[in-house]
Amino acid sequence: MHGRHRRHRLIQQDTKKYVPLLKCLTDCEKGEQLEVVEIQAGYRAKQRLAHLGVFPGTKIIKKKSAPWNGPLEIIVRGTSLVIGRGLANKIMVLCKDNCIS
Amino acid sequence: MSCHTPPNKKSKVKYDNEINIALAGNPNVGKSVIFNQLTGLSQTVGNWPGKTVERMEGHLEFLGYHFNLVDLPGIYSLSTFSLEEIVSREYIVSDEVDLIINVVDVTNLERNLFLTLQLLELKVPLIIAFNQMDLLRKRKRDLDFKKLKQFFDCPVVPIVAVHGVGVHKLLEESIFLVENRNKCVPSPDLTSFGKEIEDKINIIIEELNNLSDFESKSQYPARFLAIKLLENDDNLINYVEKLLNFPVINKIKSLRNELEELHGEDINTIISSEIYNNIIKVTEKVLIEKEVEGIKGKNFADIVDHLTTHSIWGYFILIMVLLGIYLFTFTIGNYLGDLLNNSYSMWTAQVYELFPDTNLLVKILWDGAMGGFIGAVSGVLVYVIPFFFTIELLQDSGYLPRAAFMMDKIMHVLGVHGKTVITMVLGFGCNVPACAGCRIMETEREKKISIALTSLIPCAAVMTVVMGLVGRYVGLGWVLVLFIINFGTILIVGRILNKTMPGACTELIMEMHAYRTPNYKVIFKQTWVRSKEFIFRALPIIIILGIILEVLFLFRVLEPVNLILSPITVFWLGLPAVTGIFLIYGILRKELTLVLLAIFAENIGLTITQLLNPFQMITFSLVTMLYIPCFATIIIIAKQTSWKYAIQISFLEISLALLIGGIVNFSFLLFTIF
Repeated sequence: MHGRHRRHRLIQQDTKKYVPLLKCLTDCEKGEQLEVVEIQAGYRAKQRLAHLGVFPGTKIIKKKSAPWNGPLEIIVRGTSLVIGRGLANKIMVLCKDNCIS
Repeated sequence: MSCHTPPNKKSKVKYDNEINIALAGNPNVGKSVIFNQLTGLSQTVGNWPGKTVERMEGHLEFLGYHFNLVDLPGIYSLSTFSLEEIVSREYIVSDEVDLIINVVDVTNLERNLFLTLQLLELKVPLIIAFNQMDLLRKRKRDLDFKKLKQFFDCPVVPIVAVHGVGVHKLLEESIFLVENRNKCVPSPDLTSFGKEIEDKINIIIEELNNLSDFESKSQYPARFLAIKLLENDDNLINYVEKLLNFPVINKIKSLRNELEELHGEDINTIISSEIYNNIIKVTEKVLIEKEVEGIKGKNFADIVDHLTTHSIWGYFILIMVLLGIYLFTFTIGNYLGDLLNNSYSMWTAQVYELFPDTNLLVKILWDGAMGGFIGAVSGVLVYVIPFFFTIELLQDSGYLPRAAFMMDKIMHVLGVHGKTVITMVLGFGCNVPACAGCRIMETEREKKISIALTSLIPCAAVMTVVMGLVGRYVGLGWVLVLFIINFGTILIVGRILNKTMPGACTELIMEMHAYRTPNYKVIFKQTWVRSKEFIFRALPIIIILGIILEVLFLFRVLEPVNLILSPITVFWLGLPAVTGIFLIYGILRKELTLVLLAIFAENIGLTITQLLNPFQMITFSLVTMLYIPCFATIIIIAKQTSWKYAIQISFLEISLALLIGGIVNFSFLLFTIF
């Protein structure tokens, strides 16, 4: 599959249905259904996330974030994953559903 | 079996009826439950040779076979992300393993199969245990095992590990697999990637196979190596270059670059997403009666999850839990410790009635060996066991990741993750189990920093000294000052280590599994296994040291020590020369500094207030707080990391204590002059 190609297509498709909203995972609201578009993190963090099933194209739900700008909890492939805020800041997502813009 | 298995292995199995099994799987899938169900108490904890990764081993007899089980560390992948992953894959391809039991959590099937598909590539006989089937069925889902068997073409066993359902079926399947030497040929759907990637892999496989002695030399199958080389796995690139004299870097780099350009992603993402695509192909077909999510109401675990991560209640519960551990550990520990100490003093009186006071051997054996033993048991072991119990309980129930989730931000000030809060709070009780608890950290760097910080936390023994000296004779206000200095030091050390330690502060990436009812059998067994390790490893060293110190004391060898140390104690810290020896003893157990000081004062007919002025008391307590982890802690640090690091920490803390102690002393001097 062509990553770049597919991403482009997705954004175009979504334009017809919803307002396309490319944003940072940390800026999203709780309960939003999102699709990972890009992870701008370092090699190792990206590798770890990929092994855990988080890479561009993965659908995730933001479940909650810890108080005082703490880490975030996301639902990916049916289970919870906690991601530090610094890393979550580097994950760009596309709003799929229930978007609050 | 695959080509890399040496031919002599079959005969070994036949003759000895021995089967070597490695349990592999993600963290928290019930691997240790199965391991405990099978091996009972016959397990040993050790380290992998030359590594700081824990190695759990156990044995059992079943149907005339002798099984050796190794519980591999929980891993998500077979790459080089952590030492655990490297250790696991090296062990799996070694001659020591006959087959692997891959434990898969069916409530988290996709992520668990990621490891399974990589294990398949290793071409080692494999049994897949599908654990937590009861939970899956409770969620109105099921797995189609017929289809699973078609996909994987290896034994697939549904199990419920906590109830022991299906666990012995695993052993039966193992025997069958070893006897028949069945080959596992998974369906091509499962392991093949997109065409453009397959092309690249085939080029590398061809190159590898062209090497004249590849088959005999390489432990890894060609395809596994090819994928890993493409993934830029530096560990295996090294392996291939050294072992096979196969210069790969440039050739494979261009293949990798081509792929990365084509996909617009880095290679790890490409390969991982291919594997996950294959997984989805499986899960779509084998998961049956998939119910729409969100229909079921909130269950108890969800409510607990909500409360424990709530922005107000979460912290309230966190404090309660930490307080609870502290109280639990110390109520039990103090009670048992006092009981033991009282009996010891009673016995001592009896021993000295039986033997004349001057008998040197009795003194060495009783005061040294027995005293050291009782001291180690009453001062450390009685706290270690209840503490290990609570930490296993929290880990098994799933609270630990929540605590880390809540505290992550705050602990970042110290340059560590949220998980460190647990070990640090426990450090207030006893540094020994707290430092041992640092094994829950994910990376080596995290573990090292956490251990350093935890070992600086004032433990119960230090509190005794501070309260008994400064609190009693100087005032509680100064106790507070001492604690502030202590925590300031921890903050600074955290910052410095964070700057100087190689590698960057990795961001938290952690699985947070749902709460579950803890399995008491597992907790008790784990507690015993961990305590056993302490009893047989650390305790003897403490006792031997006790004897040595007693001998040195009796022969008055230590007296020149005071003289040697006097530039530090008298000039720099402004303390009486005699404190030098007490500080040496304090390495064994910190409260000894105060105990010996009191005995010494009594012997020469002075009170402590006459021996030390308030300033000296403060300096003395401060130095006791910081100067070195106690001996048991040093041993644990060495076991968790390395002796080199344990000594480094000791020196760091000695120099810190001297630096801060000196500053305090000289500011007092200035204060008294002006």
